[in-house]
Amino acid sequence: MSFLTVENIVKDFGGLVANNNISFAIEEGEIIGLIGPNGAGKTTLFNCIVGYHRPDSGKVTFREKDITGFKPFETNRAGIGRTFQIMKVTTGMTVLENVMVGSFCRTNDRNTARGEALHVLGDLALDAVKDYYINELPIAIQRKVGLARALATKPALLMLDEVASGLNPTEIEEVVELLRRLNSAKKITLFLIEHIMEMVMKVSQRVIVLDYGEKIAEGLPADIVKNENVIKAYLGEKYAQGL
Amino acid sequence: MLIADALLQGILMGLLFALVSLGLTVIFGVMDIVNFAHGEFLMLGMYSVYWANFFFHIDPLIALPVSAVVGALLGLASYYWFIKYLLRGPAIAQLFGTFGLMLFLQYFAMFLFSADYRMIDKGLLVGKSLSVGPFIFDWTKLAAGILSLVAFAVVYYFLHKTKTGKALQATSLNKEAASYMGIRTDRMNAIAWAIGGGTVGMAGGLLVNFYYAYPMVGILFVMIAFACVALGGFGSIKGVFFAGLLVGILEMIFPVFGHLIGSDFLGPHFKFTVVYLAYFIIVVVRPQGLFGWKN
Amino acid sequence: MEKLKDALNFSDFSKAERIGLIIFSVFLLTFPWIGAGSFTTTVMIQFLLFSLFGMGWNTIGGYGGQVELGKAQYVGIGSYTVALMMVWWKVPFWVSMPIGILIAVGYSFIIGYPLFRLKGHYFAIATICTSLVLKDIFDNWNLVGAAKGIELPIHDHPDFLYMQFKSDTYYYYFIMALFYIGLFYMNWFRKSKLGYQLRMIKDDENAAESLGIDIRWCKIKAYSIASAFVAVGGGFMAVYNLYIDPASTMELSLSIKIALMAMLGGAASLWGPIIGAAFLVPLDRFLGSWLGGQKGLTGIDFMIYAGLIMIVSAYQPRGIWGIIEQFRKRGH
Ligand SMILES: Nc1ncnc2c1ncn2[C@@H]1O[C@H](COP(=O)(O)OP(=O)(O)OP(=O)(O)O)[C@@H](O)[C@H]1O
Ligand SMILES: [Mg+2]
Repeated sequence: MSFLTVENIVKDFGGLVANNNISFAIEEGEIIGLIGPNGAGKTTLFNCIVGYHRPDSGKVTFREKDITGFKPFETNRAGIGRTFQIMKVTTGMTVLENVMVGSFCRTNDRNTARGEALHVLGDLALDAVKDYYINELPIAIQRKVGLARALATKPALLMLDEVASGLNPTEIEEVVELLRRLNSAKKITLFLIEHIMEMVMKVSQRVIVLDYGEKIAEGLPADIVKNENVIKAYLGEKYAQGL
Repeated sequence: MLIADALLQGILMGLLFALVSLGLTVIFGVMDIVNFAHGEFLMLGMYSVYWANFFFHIDPLIALPVSAVVGALLGLASYYWFIKYLLRGPAIAQLFGTFGLMLFLQYFAMFLFSADYRMIDKGLLVGKSLSVGPFIFDWTKLAAGILSLVAFAVVYYFLHKTKTGKALQATSLNKEAASYMGIRTDRMNAIAWAIGGGTVGMAGGLLVNFYYAYPMVGILFVMIAFACVALGGFGSIKGVFFAGLLVGILEMIFPVFGHLIGSDFLGPHFKFTVVYLAYFIIVVVRPQGLFGWKN
Repeated sequence: MEKLKDALNFSDFSKAERIGLIIFSVFLLTFPWIGAGSFTTTVMIQFLLFSLFGMGWNTIGGYGGQVELGKAQYVGIGSYTVALMMVWWKVPFWVSMPIGILIAVGYSFIIGYPLFRLKGHYFAIATICTSLVLKDIFDNWNLVGAAKGIELPIHDHPDFLYMQFKSDTYYYYFIMALFYIGLFYMNWFRKSKLGYQLRMIKDDENAAESLGIDIRWCKIKAYSIASAFVAVGGGFMAVYNLYIDPASTMELSLSIKIALMAMLGGAASLWGPIIGAAFLVPLDRFLGSWLGGQKGLTGIDFMIYAGLIMIVSAYQPRGIWGIIEQFRKRGH
């Protein structure tokens, strides 16, 4: 049994089939990329896995446990962390408090939670902004806070929805480094949606491609960029030639 | 027999409830605001007909347009002078704001008209009844039901067939898209408030024929309207119509059941409890409203 | 022990706030000697009582951000439990009040479970409905005095067990003690896990869920804490007024006042409900006694009151504390 197994997931939004019979498996310790054009159903697939949507049919298994139909807080407690494509810009809590909420997932004690949160913040080089509110920060930092918050819940599988969008090349470079480090040092399995092709191809060990709700390809990055369906659906000839 | 009678009376009341709730759901649809002061528009509609009758001896039926106009103006004034400013704040501030407006209008009425209960005692229809077979209808209630239906139909026609009405519906469905299409949100909001105030003012004008006007009368009806709007699905016009009917029937029929089974808890004093409970149970079981038309 | 330390620890507040708290406490303690007239004492008791209500509401309404407009039903539960047990079985206050709290908490779980499936306007209106249903029932239930309400038996001699005193000063100190218990509890609460989780829920429910927070359960817990606070206040009202009826304990306007005071002062801040009550209670009382009694001016007092609510909602929804914080931020 794989670490995360997704079998025949179908999600139908009243006629619009956002996920059509999608299956794949992820092994522990992998870094998997999920790509596809806008509206392909990537975020929906994430939501079906972590429980924001209940799939119409299909099954999700995580560490041998059937988690289909779990609530998001239950999947989180089971060990899945996630970030959001669109992070709500909030004004009510500081960065540190945000991350502490994450740590409170694993402890009841405030001092422990605070310590854990500071540790995570230090790890992501966010100490300097710990007393700022999310709305006061640039988008790159906001995304990192979202990541820190999820990390603080100590996930075994971290699902990232476009963490790098809106970042400049140096920032992207940093994120890539960070993800590799999380994967190798903390043994966190990563599953990431990304639009920035250079980044997915660089960081992922395997890539899954969605188009119109269907899985059209799965494989090594090098094979994916050569796959004809993928090129047609998404990448465009230019990119394929460029590589 | 008793039940059939209650059913018919309930339908008449239900038509009126639908008219009372119509404005609330239109306003909600267009701008996502729950207007606590809605019942006070009704109250002032009641007073306007009452005073027209009292001072100028205008028949309550003929004075009806006055209540609609008073209501519409009140709606417009509230929107431009107050509600507009609330929109910048969070939802909770909007609730409190319209609650403040409700209190203000209540005590304004108390200040002007005192806390006395007032009812119209002369008019074309007052005190007359119509018997059809075994059923006896008060003409005032019959007129209220029928005219409510007419008013509802007119507004329904306006919303679905005219250009402005369609723009209003478009705003209700998707504010952003509507504003890209060149629909001016601010104007739509104002129109919604005018319709909201006008319809509920008119409902007040109908109600005062057979129900006391007093400064606090609104709260009872606004609660019923809340229930209807929620049951129909917030913002749904068709929904609120049937929800109004349903609530009217429930309200009439439960006391009859109570009477039949000899239970005090379904007695006439509890008829609104039944409505609130129905609301509570239905929204919990079916959060998208009883009919779920909006989606 | 750790919790107690947290409750008494105000060190994360600014110096100005701590000094303010000390001056305020000294004022409260010495008030019966310096300011007391019977009218001002009544106003002070009301102020402390509403602060307590507001602090309770602040858990679910302020920190949790839920538009809860049905707190009056728990005032009713608290006060009726105390009053009825005293009238029927002569149960002392110190027994009946805890029972009232238990009933309120139990009831809040039963109501809260379905209630917190709802969101937004549905939720707000449903809270009103549940409260009005209870009032409707009590209004018509002869066993509990129906709309006439119930009078508590008046004892000839002051009696601590039944909380009957000749002088308002005793009631004053008693509600003051409750006020401080409430304040310390809230000081702990805002730093507790639940406090953090509620604030996250208020900010962003989706994110909160993704961080392992069982939103519905958190809300229910906060709701029942709020209900317990309010029930304590209700119990106090019964022994203080010696007369209760559904209109004075379960009216919608009471629910709104409770929420409003916290809002006006500043929701989700420890001081908010206190500031709000300090502002609205005297206003309510003095306006009432100056204007309400004058012939031909009935209603003016409430119009002013309502006008204020409207102005605050339109211009400063974050309340008085929000204004202060804004100035402080600008100072930085
Ligand atoms: N809650 C919903 N209700 C109805 N339709 C939805 C819902 N969520 C998503 N959709 C639709 O499902 C389709 C897939 O959306 P999804 O957000 O999963 O795409 P995506 O691959 O993440 O796109 P993007 O790259 O733009 O983020 C879209 O057509 C979208 O409009
Ligand atoms: Mg997406």
